[in-house]
Amino acid sequence: MTQVVLFNVFNGLIVGAFYALMALGLSLILNLSGVINFAHGGFLALGAYLAFTLIPYIGFWGALVVAPLLTAALGLVIERLLIRPLYGGDPLYGLLLTFGLAYIFEDMTRFIWGAQSLPFQLPAWLTTSLSNEFFFVTGYRVFMIVIVVAAVGGLFAVLNYTRLGMRIRAGTRDLDTVSTLGVNVRVLRSLNFGIGIYMAGLAGVLAAGLLGLSPTIGASLIMPSFVAIIVGGLGSLLGTLLGGLLIGVASGLAAVYFPSATEAVIYVMMGLVLLIRPRGLLGEEGRLH
Amino acid sequence: MPKSYSCAGIDRRRLMKSGLVLAAAQIASPFVIRARAADAVRIGLDNPLTGTYAANGKHELDGCQMALEGINAKGGILGRPVELVVEDSTSGDAGAAVQKARKLIEGDKVDFLLGNVNSALALAMAQVSNEKGILHIVPGGHTDAVTGSSCHWNVFRVCNTTQMEANAVASALVKEYGKKFYYITPDYAFGHTLEAGMVKAIAKLGGERVGGDLTPLGSVDFSSYLIKAQGMNPDVIIFLVQGDDMLNALKQAVQFGLQNKVHLAGAQQEMEPLEGLPPEARIGTWVLEWYWNQPGVPHVAEFVEATKKRTGRVPTARTWFGYVSTWTCAHAAAAAKSLKAVDMAKALQDYHLPPEIALGPNPAFYRAGQNQLLASLFVGDAQAKGSAPDDLFKVTKVVNGADIADTVEESGCKMTWPT
Repeated sequence: MTQVVLFNVFNGLIVGAFYALMALGLSLILNLSGVINFAHGGFLALGAYLAFTLIPYIGFWGALVVAPLLTAALGLVIERLLIRPLYGGDPLYGLLLTFGLAYIFEDMTRFIWGAQSLPFQLPAWLTTSLSNEFFFVTGYRVFMIVIVVAAVGGLFAVLNYTRLGMRIRAGTRDLDTVSTLGVNVRVLRSLNFGIGIYMAGLAGVLAAGLLGLSPTIGASLIMPSFVAIIVGGLGSLLGTLLGGLLIGVASGLAAVYFPSATEAVIYVMMGLVLLIRPRGLLGEEGRLH
Repeated sequence: MPKSYSCAGIDRRRLMKSGLVLAAAQIASPFVIRARAADAVRIGLDNPLTGTYAANGKHELDGCQMALEGINAKGGILGRPVELVVEDSTSGDAGAAVQKARKLIEGDKVDFLLGNVNSALALAMAQVSNEKGILHIVPGGHTDAVTGSSCHWNVFRVCNTTQMEANAVASALVKEYGKKFYYITPDYAFGHTLEAGMVKAIAKLGGERVGGDLTPLGSVDFSSYLIKAQGMNPDVIIFLVQGDDMLNALKQAVQFGLQNKVHLAGAQQEMEPLEGLPPEARIGTWVLEWYWNQPGVPHVAEFVEATKKRTGRVPTARTWFGYVSTWTCAHAAAAAKSLKAVDMAKALQDYHLPPEIALGPNPAFYRAGQNQLLASLFVGDAQAKGSAPDDLFKVTKVVNGADIADTVEESGCKMTWPT
């Protein structure tokens, strides 16, 4: 039993890292632009499907690089055309818009690639277990962790050590002042949105290797990502990372004791956090008001 | 930051936005066939075209349309042309399915109602069709109750009950792979009845349930359940999850290499998820309700060719369900020489479908007193590579539905006819 618990905790961390990757993109957009991007799952699905289409031409590795970039490019177009006019308005408009977009994305995917799941082929060496005893540590899971760590590390490096990152962080705290200081806020928001969508696209390519590639792939992952943000705390990317890992472990542990509650448990966690510490574990005071 | 919007600017932007949304909505919305001839007989299909069951619904629709062409080519129903009116029931909204069923019956005045892939929606629609006294065929909703405890005189079902699927596969599993079974079961009505059916069928043969997990519908991560299952040292892990859940579970099980330690199996399997799996994950022992590769069985090859010509792919069990359901309407009317639902339902009691519709080695007939079609079930193993690119399943045994179905009494169906 102890072994099963330990296995599940470790496995929960792996799954949680994945939720975190998706949630970080969401969190980035929410923090700077105040847009609750419900279409994030749609972008994720798009990244996955683009990779599927590209693999026959440029292979898995090529697709891993190109598909998220293409997704981000489309994200920039959508930001420019649809989302930009809503900045500064009631967040509800952004929410409604992206909620609608999520449906449009799902049906567009269904229209272009078909309603049926598609077989997403990974390089063979990634799909086997690394050890007979720790059979759940597969090449692919280790690879996912490496990518997540690299992406999260890269994101934090950009935010902390580049001019763009500094402006994004400053904008998260006080966009008006940043704007007054002569920073082009439009470009800043666009780039920030693009980075967020890039992470969704990347999460999509990774998800397609682990899950069935179907038009609903994004919809099933979006809610845990929101929960990760709320648990971790709005305004804190480190919190989002922590939130993702925590819900992964919680749902892994629930599988041991109350298997049918694996999904419910993350919402219970969210409820508890909102009751006891409404700003989230590492969130800033007042962000929710 | 200077921000100047002219009125024209806003208008343009609004125009572009609405244009984009409209264009997308046009593409995304399900199509409805609305060619109307005044004296046509109408068949209403209320089935999912969007959501989780969209692919299944699409294939059933293909089957319906092929049958429709066949029926019209042979002179229609009672000499009148036949039309198909299609509505998207959604994949899980019983309210929408019921509302569409009412619209088809009251608005479009259909003579027959077909649907639904989702058992819960099928049951909800059956209440409406029964209230309105319309002949209703359920092509592919499996929960036992449809032709069991909730049976109606006017509701017929083409696909099997979950108990029949369990009975069909159980003996192969116990004989070949051992007696200790672990279950991964979706946490809703279909999963519960299927697991109960499997446990019952396996217990009769001396096998036992060593553990199991109920997984929430739409689960993304199955690794924690698989880790637990492996810890119980079963001989067989039974996957009763369906659709995307099945894909996720099998993909993850194979990445863990579980197929090298225990046997992986299940009850109901379909071509749709098998096609979504990479070759190495197409494994396990299952039962299919119809398969396109049936060498030597009359008319099957023609049906496969016709489907390929029309849709560019081989038919699945779903295509066959739609095909049989629509043809059943024509046969019911012809046998009753009437479009009166009661007469047609009576004519269908123990009605044997002709071989060009049955498309299987065993007789296919609607069992009297229950309205359940008994035909052939195909037990076998999913395969990475077969005789053709579409040959994803190796049939090891064809089971006659009549041999493994519970009796009408056991099904719990107590049918009352209108007086």
